[in-house]
Amino acid sequence: MSDNDTDDVRTDGSGTGIVSPDDETPAWSERKERTQGLSRLTYEYFERARREDQDLRQQSDYVERDVLAFPAWPHEMMRNIALTSFFVGMILFVSATLPPEMPNPANSGVTPAIILPDWYLYWSFGLLKLGPLNPELSILGGSKLMADRTYGVLANVVVVGFVAIVPFLNKGSARRPVEQPFWAAVGMSGVIFSLTIAALSIKNLVPMDSHLLFDLTFLVPIVSATITYAVLKTMREGYMFDLNRRYYRLRPPK
Amino acid sequence: MADEFMKGFACLMVGGLGWMTIKGWYNTPSFEGAQLTGELTIEEPTTFDQIALFMGDAFFWFAVLGALTFWVVLPLISEFQTYLNERSA
Repeated sequence: MSDNDTDDVRTDGSGTGIVSPDDETPAWSERKERTQGLSRLTYEYFERARREDQDLRQQSDYVERDVLAFPAWPHEMMRNIALTSFFVGMILFVSATLPPEMPNPANSGVTPAIILPDWYLYWSFGLLKLGPLNPELSILGGSKLMADRTYGVLANVVVVGFVAIVPFLNKGSARRPVEQPFWAAVGMSGVIFSLTIAALSIKNLVPMDSHLLFDLTFLVPIVSATITYAVLKTMREGYMFDLNRRYYRLRPPK
Repeated sequence: MADEFMKGFACLMVGGLGWMTIKGWYNTPSFEGAQLTGELTIEEPTTFDQIALFMGDAFFWFAVLGALTFWVVLPLISEFQTYLNERSA
């Protein structure tokens, strides 16, 4: 206690930060020492975890942080076991109750009526259908600079290239979207665009006018980016934002 | 508040899973075609089939009403009680 009086108050969790108002009020540690049984065990357990955390913090030459971590055992491990059990149980349940139909093997001698890639490649397939965006240049006498199929392949190169350089465009230390609404909006528009371009690739299966679908493919991502930006900007106000910002500031500054 | 959300969510998930299972058994004629909402696949339901069909409906309404209860009705009631307490105080 006498040390605490002279030292600065530390808010990083290394001290208790609790000072009894007078001599008669028991300190938190004294109060805890009187308890028994499970609460006593719990207190000792967390006290030890806190102590290990403190030791790690003091031994480390890393940047001072608000929260170092929880111990891998049992905190992290019990959570992981619970999650793993849940998903394994779901797999067992669904495969036992709703076994998938095993259809006839594919006939390699017949071309199927509808040729589509696997669903996770629909976005790339959709980028091949951007022919209407291929400009007819008047300088070339109204003809196009490149064939529509070349244009589609180049669109793939551009999109994949943009996705590849995003990590180099923004090297911020933010760990949640509200810290950087603009980049979160960019990411959200990318996610939505990957969905809309996938819908465009199967436009003959989508119950919608194909021209309208083509326009929506590019409009919906912009709209969603705007909404995301507005929502995140709104969330930047208020008590919880400051509180969480303090908690989530785990990475060292740039 | 978060607890209420979780209860409603659990109702939705459990009910939805049960409903999906029953409908997958009885209302999915083929892999390619109407899923979970198709025609009944059996002609003469036995007692067990009737129990299962009833359970399918029960799961569906458990999902809908459970989520509604915990997300809408109970919060409304607690808000109303807070309002009444503030008014009387």
